Amino acid sequence: MTTPPNNGGSAPSEAVVQDFANMSAALMGFQASFIRPFLDPVNLSGIFYQFAVAQVGQTMMDALMSAFDALSKQTPPLTAQQIADTLLEVSSPTPSNQALLCQSIIAMWYLGSWYPPPFQKDGLQQVISSQAYTKSLAWNTAQAHPMGFSAFPFGYWSQPPGPLTDFGVNTGGGQ
Amino acid sequence: MSNGASPQYDVVIIGAGVSGNLIAKQVGLAGKKVLILEAGLPVPDSREEYMDNFYLALAKTPEAPYPALAGRTGNKDHPVGKLPDPATLPTPRATVLGLGGTPETSYLVQAQSWVATHPDDPAPPQNPPTAPNGDVRGLQFSSTFERNAGGTSWHWLGTSLRELENDIRMWTKYQHAVDWPVTYDEMQPLWAKAEKEIGVAASVVQQEPLEVVGLEYPPGYQYPMGPIPTSIVDQTVSQGVSGLQVPGTLPDTPGGSDPQMYDVFVTPTPAGRNSEPYDDRRVCAGNTNCIPICPIQAKWDPTITLGKALDTGNVTVSYQSVAYNVAVDANNKATSVDYYVWSRDSAGKLQKESKSVSGKIIVLAAHAIENAKLLLLSNNWKGIANKSDQVGRNLMDHPLYLTWALAPQPLWGYRGPLATAGIESLRDGEFRKYRASFRMEIGNEGWNFATGDPYTTALDFIQGTDNSGVNPKKERLGGTALALKLNDLLTRQFRIACMFDQTPLQENRVQLDLDSYGKPVNTDGLGIPRPKVEYGFDTYTMEGFRMAAYVCSQVYKQMGAQEFTKNNVGGTGDFTYRGVNYHYYGAGHVVGTHRMGPDPYTSVVDSSQRSHDVQNMWVVGSGSFPTVCTANPTLTLLALAFKSADSIIAALKSY
Repeated sequence: MTTPPNNGGSAPSEAVVQDFANMSAALMGFQASFIRPFLDPVNLSGIFYQFAVAQVGQTMMDALMSAFDALSKQTPPLTAQQIADTLLEVSSPTPSNQALLCQSIIAMWYLGSWYPPPFQKDGLQQVISSQAYTKSLAWNTAQAHPMGFSAFPFGYWSQPPGPLTDFGVNTGGGQ
Repeated sequence: MSNGASPQYDVVIIGAGVSGNLIAKQVGLAGKKVLILEAGLPVPDSREEYMDNFYLALAKTPEAPYPALAGRTGNKDHPVGKLPDPATLPTPRATVLGLGGTPETSYLVQAQSWVATHPDDPAPPQNPPTAPNGDVRGLQFSSTFERNAGGTSWHWLGTSLRELENDIRMWTKYQHAVDWPVTYDEMQPLWAKAEKEIGVAASVVQQEPLEVVGLEYPPGYQYPMGPIPTSIVDQTVSQGVSGLQVPGTLPDTPGGSDPQMYDVFVTPTPAGRNSEPYDDRRVCAGNTNCIPICPIQAKWDPTITLGKALDTGNVTVSYQSVAYNVAVDANNKATSVDYYVWSRDSAGKLQKESKSVSGKIIVLAAHAIENAKLLLLSNNWKGIANKSDQVGRNLMDHPLYLTWALAPQPLWGYRGPLATAGIESLRDGEFRKYRASFRMEIGNEGWNFATGDPYTTALDFIQGTDNSGVNPKKERLGGTALALKLNDLLTRQFRIACMFDQTPLQENRVQLDLDSYGKPVNTDGLGIPRPKVEYGFDTYTMEGFRMAAYVCSQVYKQMGAQEFTKNNVGGTGDFTYRGVNYHYYGAGHVVGTHRMGPDPYTSVVDSSQRSHDVQNMWVVGSGSFPTVCTANPTLTLLALAFKSADSIIAALKSY
């Protein structure tokens, strides 16, 4: 950990939260507009950003966001999949701490819980909030819903689900 | 009452669960005064409180929503949070997270035989020991239960199958185990009453194929509401097993063989969840969460019946009231119940106040293990109602064998109620002379039960591990590649759970955790000795496991599915039979500890669940089942509670 946790500190700016959502979407293979819709009263992007900063420190998060920013501005443009593969260092047998942080960010969105990256020695595994669970996205990749939280009607289970894109997945891997 | 005063209540009931609440309601409707002593907390004002406990629990075990046990943060030593010591709690209970633990985390003191044979050896052997007759002893009893208003059936699945005729006459038909002291014909109207109370969704026409195992309904019978639709998982398995037959026994089954071929087919499961609005409750929305908690109470639970009991105006509940003695006079009459009312002071310290209450009739409805514990605790820990020496014995479960596989095409689990169909066609046959019968439940929750998915597989592909068994190359993925990989795997996952009609054994038992001087070893926070359990399987039961593993593999093979079942060795819930490892889970179906029967010398209660020895005391619930049978027990234990209620109301006329 490069700086002490700030326990959230002041609310990040709208632009920072949008950047974090864009980066998260690329890392996870989801549509950015799905995880951060125009009207977003729950604001998981902001909550997760602050939570991650509190865990690993502002300096490390700023470095990751800068790396994402640089990759996003490359010409010719990289696809979302290429950005994810680069940040996650998928071809490296020994991913850096920054790549390990990316893993924790994916897990946070997918599973609603914080799984401390290996370098965070005092990290505690925890469910971040009730809404982090009820909006967790691994279930969407199954074209389903979190167990215990469904908005589908009686009998939906006897018919096939809608397409994966309806569940927010960026199936094309592009931007 | 011991001073000659009139009893304070007509009926004192210990426990506000399935049986206790139903009897309270029926007796209250008859105009009699009832007190329920409930050890735990009241039903919360809103189930949102329990839902939040569930959402925030790291391990979403059956106990997760109910008065919190584990902290919400984990670390290396306690991945799902540190468990409280049962010795500090007023109403500790058996929990999934406490399984395999020492008495510092496990309420049930598990009397594994290595403790007895190797007192100086802290490490269990690699496998549980085998007795000379082939039985495996020293196994962990893996079922858990709740102690709060509503009881364990807060998290029942809703499965409302009836027992089969041969389930309840095993000795007469197959010369194995024992008969029940009630007939199939006698049970029919009782099941109908229970189905109405619950609101069971099913279709008699859909159940008709099960005539091959002896399932019959009275002419013209209809369930209270139409069936719950089957899932795509069910439909896929149903098509996949078309034409499949399996033999009654495998080669070299001890005792004999049943070479007959039995058809394997799928039928929808009668369910205690609404297919239409019923009793002012809404229809099932398929939250896939019947266990641990239905978020919308579309599934019946005993709190609904408790509400109706209170509405009679004749029923009172005393919460946080833990019974520890039933006083019996020289005429074998139960006179009063002694109990502690517990509370916590402003500093959080546990306080208790001892009280006593009298009733014309006393009903123990505290759960199979807690009923046995209370009977053994009474009379200064010498026990009551135990002329037969059967109190606490014959402890049974539906030991559950879980198998799982990937289908060749998506069948979209993680949707709908947890289970909507099963393979019931193998529940009866001549093979029951030689091996345990079983039912097979098809799950709609992917590999959630099997591997903890979607968590395990998702983390495997995020972190490059292979705890699921589906990432042997330990790939690390991100972006769309990750989402599509998970989509491919999660939508093809399914599982089958087999539940066995295990043999009742005298040595499988609940006792008080006392030392050889009669002093308590482990107690709860009120100072009450805790239950110590001994458990094991005979070869008849284990031969059922062998057959179940074979049948599941045949099902997967015929479907073109790839099986991923993993059986460990040497852990709690593991055993080895004929060189093959098996892992079993508890089903929560705790049975047998105060068995009913016609003979006071071989059973604890009669067919009305009335004590043979103490005439004004009833001991009710699944503990009265002489055998665990092949259906999930809630419907039948509720049916038996109707019979008990009628006998209690009749008996009150003479008191």
